[in-house]
Amino acid sequence: MTASTATPATLAPTHPHEAQRRAARRRKRLRNLGFFALLAGPNIALLLIFVYRPLLLSFYYSMLQWNMGSSVARFIGFENYVRWFTDPDTPQVMGTTAIFAVTTVGGSLVLGLGLALLLNKKLFGRGIARTVAFAPYVLSGIAVGMLWLYIFDPRYGLLSTLLEAVGLSSPQWYTTSPWALIMIIIVYLWKHVGYVALIYLAGLQGVPQDLHDAAALDGAGKTRTFASIVLPLLGPVTFFLLITTILSSLQSFDLIKAMTDGGPLGSTTTLMYQIYVEGFQTGRAGFASAAATILFVILLVITAIQLKFMERKVHYA
Amino acid sequence: MTSRRTTPLWTPSRRTLLQLGGIGAAGGLAAACSGPSVGGGGGAGEEEGDAIDWASIEPATEITWWSNHPGNTKELEESYIAAFNEEYPDIKINHVTAGANYDEIAQRFQAASGTDDLPDLVIASDVWWFRYFVNGQIMAIDDVFAHLEVDTDDYVETLYSDYEYEGKHYAAPYARSTPLFYYNKDIWTAAGLPDRGPETWAELQEWAPALQAQVPADGQALGLGIGPSWAGWWFSNVIWGLGGNMSEEWTVTLDTEEALTAGAFVRDMYNGETAFAGLGSDTNADFQAGIFACLIGSTGSLKGHLDAAPFELGTAFLPNGPVDVPNVPTGGTGLAIPSTRTPEQQLAAAMFLKFLTETDNTALFSQSTGYMPVRTSAVEGDIMAAVYSETPQFRTSVDQLQQKTRVQDWVRVFTPGGDQIITDGIEELVLAGANPEDVFPDVTSKLDVAFEDNVEPYL
Repeated sequence: MTASTATPATLAPTHPHEAQRRAARRRKRLRNLGFFALLAGPNIALLLIFVYRPLLLSFYYSMLQWNMGSSVARFIGFENYVRWFTDPDTPQVMGTTAIFAVTTVGGSLVLGLGLALLLNKKLFGRGIARTVAFAPYVLSGIAVGMLWLYIFDPRYGLLSTLLEAVGLSSPQWYTTSPWALIMIIIVYLWKHVGYVALIYLAGLQGVPQDLHDAAALDGAGKTRTFASIVLPLLGPVTFFLLITTILSSLQSFDLIKAMTDGGPLGSTTTLMYQIYVEGFQTGRAGFASAAATILFVILLVITAIQLKFMERKVHYA
Repeated sequence: MTSRRTTPLWTPSRRTLLQLGGIGAAGGLAAACSGPSVGGGGGAGEEEGDAIDWASIEPATEITWWSNHPGNTKELEESYIAAFNEEYPDIKINHVTAGANYDEIAQRFQAASGTDDLPDLVIASDVWWFRYFVNGQIMAIDDVFAHLEVDTDDYVETLYSDYEYEGKHYAAPYARSTPLFYYNKDIWTAAGLPDRGPETWAELQEWAPALQAQVPADGQALGLGIGPSWAGWWFSNVIWGLGGNMSEEWTVTLDTEEALTAGAFVRDMYNGETAFAGLGSDTNADFQAGIFACLIGSTGSLKGHLDAAPFELGTAFLPNGPVDVPNVPTGGTGLAIPSTRTPEQQLAAAMFLKFLTETDNTALFSQSTGYMPVRTSAVEGDIMAAVYSETPQFRTSVDQLQQKTRVQDWVRVFTPGGDQIITDGIEELVLAGANPEDVFPDVTSKLDVAFEDNVEPYL
């Protein structure tokens, strides 16, 4: 090891090409920066304008007492948040949101996996069945809601006719508290199961055949093979679906709007729907923005928890 | 051979991305300043600028009209535009279906506030126009109507004064309606009842068992739906008939004995052994199908019932309560002119609004839908006379308008969200069989908050 004896003078650029090299490097960095801006700039700009700006605006509006449509407002700090947390309707809204999220996410994962297993078999007309299963997902939620309203109609609906055929009377789907939410959940599942099934189907087709063969050689039955090999290998797919379906469920709006308008007695009013009601019906834009910010935080926390704790248990093949 | 060293493309570090994010956040915060102005004046309380000299304004050559075509009148409205263009060929009118109902139009109108995507003429229903006014979104039409020599004295007084606040009018009546009592004459005859509607709610209760015997097991004597822009409307009739009201100006009066009695009456209409009212997904269709013996519905549905009902249709005034007072609320929609449009656009819109509400046009609208003629001259004009002669049911609604109507309680029509809050309360009475003593205090509290938040600071 040698001690440095360099003086400031010896550190100064002495080689005539050193400055040129530095200038060239600087020009190259600028060129690269320009190239980066050219490629990533439009996407970043879109994100800033259509995602982050509304997000920040919403947070800002949540601190205002502001009539939707008015050009004036009053700054009230966090009062809208205090009101939301102390509102007597909040427990019901959050309870409905939780029930809806748990049943729709759990239901769509279980039913979607079952459907995917079925569609993965070599059956006649499998291609058509796959298309039919996925089709509801691409339909408009409002159209689906209107269609199912006719089916659920307690007086004239198809479901009522079927129930009557087996000696049962139709529940009052629109006007009684538990049935309205059950109705929405059924329709939500019908609409979204195809999407989950499609993703699971892709995952199932990615499970190597030799693992099935090895399990068979070891004497594992179908159930054991599914539980010990297929399901763990579907971990990344399940993880992905869990995140996307929770986000989708918590943001669900169209079916509720078309079928129940949040009623009866607020029994189908989720947090997402409350935002709409407060913002556009009651006109309390500040309060609605506070609720929207709370929904954002909830989604952020759920996603962060999933990423932190659940991803560890996922087996990537 | 010399090797050429390749410089990797610039890869931003995490820190750099955070810095970029910070710039974005700062931009977002800056953008936040473009929202509503905070703490300043504005809204309805904002001082109006100098009065416009309408005589010096030339009408715009193109305007936009947002409508939901009340009473399935899209074609009729288009025919109005065509007729207007015969008189004023230089004014093009864009006819936009901006929603399926009053609420959807209102939500779109509010969301578009502050943008250029606004109409020049917009549907303004009984429960929405005041919110537009409070927000400063619509203009007073008195001056421009005076310039156009619109005969406002000829408007049915109740209908025009519905849009009045502090001496100025903020809309003109267009598709105006009241609730009306409809009955199935075949069922009435089978039940042995006289060919008329019930004079009072008590009489309807008395008739209910006989009517109930004539409808299917899942039917009811009376079909009466609940829902936004509806439940609070017919509840006005019940509470007024008992001598109460929902509010005295801005003071909520749902704690009075009369209001509580009205709430209990509504609860018992649908619940218990003496219940005689029922709900349906489409009460109009159910009534036409004979599920309900009678119905309270909008006069705007009259033409539809006349066309679709397979039985002879009877119409009557709404039932009275024990107190003899005007007890029929007016409703439906008017048309308003947004305040942020140019004077040229506002003038053209006012010209078209004048045209729409002229005697023959409002009579034609009434004839085609069952909505009220909005001009006195139309009520007694030739067109309506022919209509009354051919279908006397029309006469009932017009007579009721002239004899029984009164201006609605402020808390329902002026308080933003007031109608929805009252509807939620009525839902609890009807669907949960709740007691008004438990429901109305919560309704009152919410109405008070809505007033303090959304009205008081802006007046």
